Amino acid sequence: MSMVLIPEKDNTGNDPTQRPELILGQPDFAQLTESVCRVSEAPSPPRVWYVALSISLAFTIILHVMIAYLLWEGTGVWGIQIPVAWGWAIANFVFWVGIGHAGTLISAILFLFRQKWRTSINRFAEAMTIFAVICAAIYPGIHIGRVWFAYWLFPIPNYLNLWPQFRSPLLWDVFAVSTYMIVSLLFWYVGMVPDLATFRDRAQTRVRQVVYGILALGWRGSSRQWHRYECAYLLLAGLATPLVLSVHSIVSFDFAVSLIPGWHTTIFPPYFVAGAIFSGFAMVVTLAIPARYLFDLKHIITLRHLENMNKIILVTGMMVGYAYGIEFFIAWYSGNPTEAFVFFNRALGPYAWAYWTMISCNVLIPQFFWFKKCRTSIWFMFIVCIFVNIGMWFERFVIVVTSLSRDFLPSSWGYFRPTLIDVMTFAGTFGLFFTLFLLFCRFLPIVAMAEVKSILPKAGLDSGPHHGHGQYWGEIPYQHDEAAKEGGAGV
Amino acid sequence: MPHETPKELLRLNEAAPRLFRNACLLGIAGLVVSLLIAVSVDGGVKRAYHSYLMNFCYFLSLSLGGLVFVMIQHLSRAGWSVVVRRISEAVAANVLFLVVLFVPILFGMHHLFPWTREELVASDPLLQWKQPYLNVPFFIIRCLIYFGVWCGLSYFLLRWSQEQDDSRSPALTLRMERWSAPGILLFAITVTFASFDLLMSRDPHWFSTIYGVYYFGGSFLGFVSLLPVIFFALRLNGYIRRSVTAEHFHDLGKLMLGFTVFWAYIAFSQFLLIWYADLPEETGWYARRLEGQWGWLSFLLLAGHFIIPFIGLLFRYPKRRLRYLAPWGLFILVMHWLDLYWLSMPEFYWGVEGADTGVIPFHLLDLTTLLGIGGFFLAGTIQWLRDCSLIPEGDPRLKESLSFENA
Repeated sequence: MSMVLIPEKDNTGNDPTQRPELILGQPDFAQLTESVCRVSEAPSPPRVWYVALSISLAFTIILHVMIAYLLWEGTGVWGIQIPVAWGWAIANFVFWVGIGHAGTLISAILFLFRQKWRTSINRFAEAMTIFAVICAAIYPGIHIGRVWFAYWLFPIPNYLNLWPQFRSPLLWDVFAVSTYMIVSLLFWYVGMVPDLATFRDRAQTRVRQVVYGILALGWRGSSRQWHRYECAYLLLAGLATPLVLSVHSIVSFDFAVSLIPGWHTTIFPPYFVAGAIFSGFAMVVTLAIPARYLFDLKHIITLRHLENMNKIILVTGMMVGYAYGIEFFIAWYSGNPTEAFVFFNRALGPYAWAYWTMISCNVLIPQFFWFKKCRTSIWFMFIVCIFVNIGMWFERFVIVVTSLSRDFLPSSWGYFRPTLIDVMTFAGTFGLFFTLFLLFCRFLPIVAMAEVKSILPKAGLDSGPHHGHGQYWGEIPYQHDEAAKEGGAGV
Repeated sequence: MPHETPKELLRLNEAAPRLFRNACLLGIAGLVVSLLIAVSVDGGVKRAYHSYLMNFCYFLSLSLGGLVFVMIQHLSRAGWSVVVRRISEAVAANVLFLVVLFVPILFGMHHLFPWTREELVASDPLLQWKQPYLNVPFFIIRCLIYFGVWCGLSYFLLRWSQEQDDSRSPALTLRMERWSAPGILLFAITVTFASFDLLMSRDPHWFSTIYGVYYFGGSFLGFVSLLPVIFFALRLNGYIRRSVTAEHFHDLGKLMLGFTVFWAYIAFSQFLLIWYADLPEETGWYARRLEGQWGWLSFLLLAGHFIIPFIGLLFRYPKRRLRYLAPWGLFILVMHWLDLYWLSMPEFYWGVEGADTGVIPFHLLDLTTLLGIGGFFLAGTIQWLRDCSLIPEGDPRLKESLSFENA
């Protein structure tokens, strides 16, 4: 694949008098269906896909081996110790849950905000969400040590009358993450039904026809079905919107309800949510760039889509920077010596390298996105997004480790070092993540075809009668305006 | 444009001077009565300052909510909101008048901020620790910066938008977009520290990192609730009856609902974390607000600032009908006022020995200063709208806004 040489069509211009083209090349509905379906229908995927899948599978196997070894030997194979009992496992958990936030934000919140550009990216961002949550869910499960008791995480009635601590945010996490998982999955699936039906209708083999036929749940595309589908989608978007905020808020409670300096601060919930969206979008861009080349979707996932995401990265990155700053300020302002120590220790102590990695990657490097040239250069944004991914992992590492490694008892202070097993387990979850993602790209509709079609000029929702109120100057038309009738009589 | 005169009434014209005069009279009356009460009642001056600051922060929050609303519309290149933007710009620009109304606060600082009182600082190591930040000269410098930023942003965003009415130049839209980006960054920083300075430092021992977000959340909610009220009043008098439609009110209603929940989310986050950790240096602030009569106010806020409007605004019906949406807006504005009361007034007793802190120190001054500042706030809005259209007629996205529909 010659990735650099293909010229990008620039649709990032900003002319306030007209809305930009979001899908390039003016495809009609059939052409759009064709360009999305061929990703899955091509006799064989691009060779790069096989290479990537082999590597990912290898890492997935490593993950399984690492988990097996961990179960065999016990959690001593990790670098965790007392007082740093939450080592990489929890940092990785928070990292992956965070990655899983962009999908639902794009599909729910951007839907409610009528951001049409979301249609090109929502499907695979949602898929990414689900895979990231799967990766995240592994960690608390294996971190408990005795995994055969993992079901104790759930409040299941039992003869020992053992119950989890309902006042613990760790239990709230179980509810929050599983609710998020279920709703995201539903959202993803409901959104996919019309596209699965398209796959079914185009199927050339019996297997595809049956499998996609079952998955499509008998979708016929009648206007009654569409009507209900759109109602359901709107309701799911409304229900999923608070979930985007609740999951990472509750993850932040894991830390913030405690008395540990550096963890206990009130800005944690919104700060974690902003960080999650930040890292999630960075991951979406990281995946979108290769995917659009590999599967030839550059006219659907255009430069403008990438630029918009980069703007969100800039904004949320600054929100994260705001939280760092306010935490620092209040650590001083509060006059609490332990709080001040923790922040002093973060910036200048043994983990200063991690802290400044975090600051550089999350706050400084995204500042390049103020410049349009940087926002619209594929290679540049790719590099920035990789840095953001790194920085957001380090943020969780800094939060988890720096506060614990120097706790209230100086005699137990130490320096946390991960073991090879820690590192390989984390690398293994990337393998799992990419394996699932690559399989998704090949076997499911990677772009929400039905939704993209609704924003094509051909759908006519943006022109014709919908903007047909004529010229405004002089006379304000109000043909079908119930408020005018009511307002006139009622007010 | 050579067309016939619009039938839609989009200019205040001859009504403006009369409205302006009446609003000013209301403002003057409110402040004069406040002054009379303050000097005639024992301890009235202190009481008046507390009411004044609280009401000042209330109207400031509405202006700031307007400012950030306008900047967000520019940054997101929003089409739907064009027709409601002019009023927003005018409300935001009221910050220029609020600067003048801020001056009295500088003369009453020793009544309002315990950290300015030397006898308290001398005996309090925490206040001494905070002296590098909490001292009068630095406070004044910071306030100059805050107001400088807000005045600059809101003034130019209004002026360029008015310029566009005549020139119809899309370049002005681009200019407003460009300035909104750094603008919103400066806004976040200044609002946060302003809320620390004007409100949080009234209990100089207490601290909360989320405080700035809390004030912002309330401000935005207050502003989007104010808009339907303003449109109701305008319609009542025959203005903009048609260009702002049920669709726009529907969207404003959605924002009211959304930010009702956002406010509750932030308030709950702050409360839960402090309650759960149970550290004496943090819980004192809540303990005062749950003691005696304050407890009732806290529960009233829970119900009135969250549960009731949440349920009420969940439905499509009231959001699309101004005659229901405007009362909801008014209701939320009252709750927002009570929220600021709840944030601010328990500190009336700070450093006072033997006060009955469980009693809400309600005073007529709370209302007279509300009317006083409110009158000038209204006058300011009218003043900004005196010579221009009530909607941004030259905005290139006006057509999109006029024909906008909630699909």
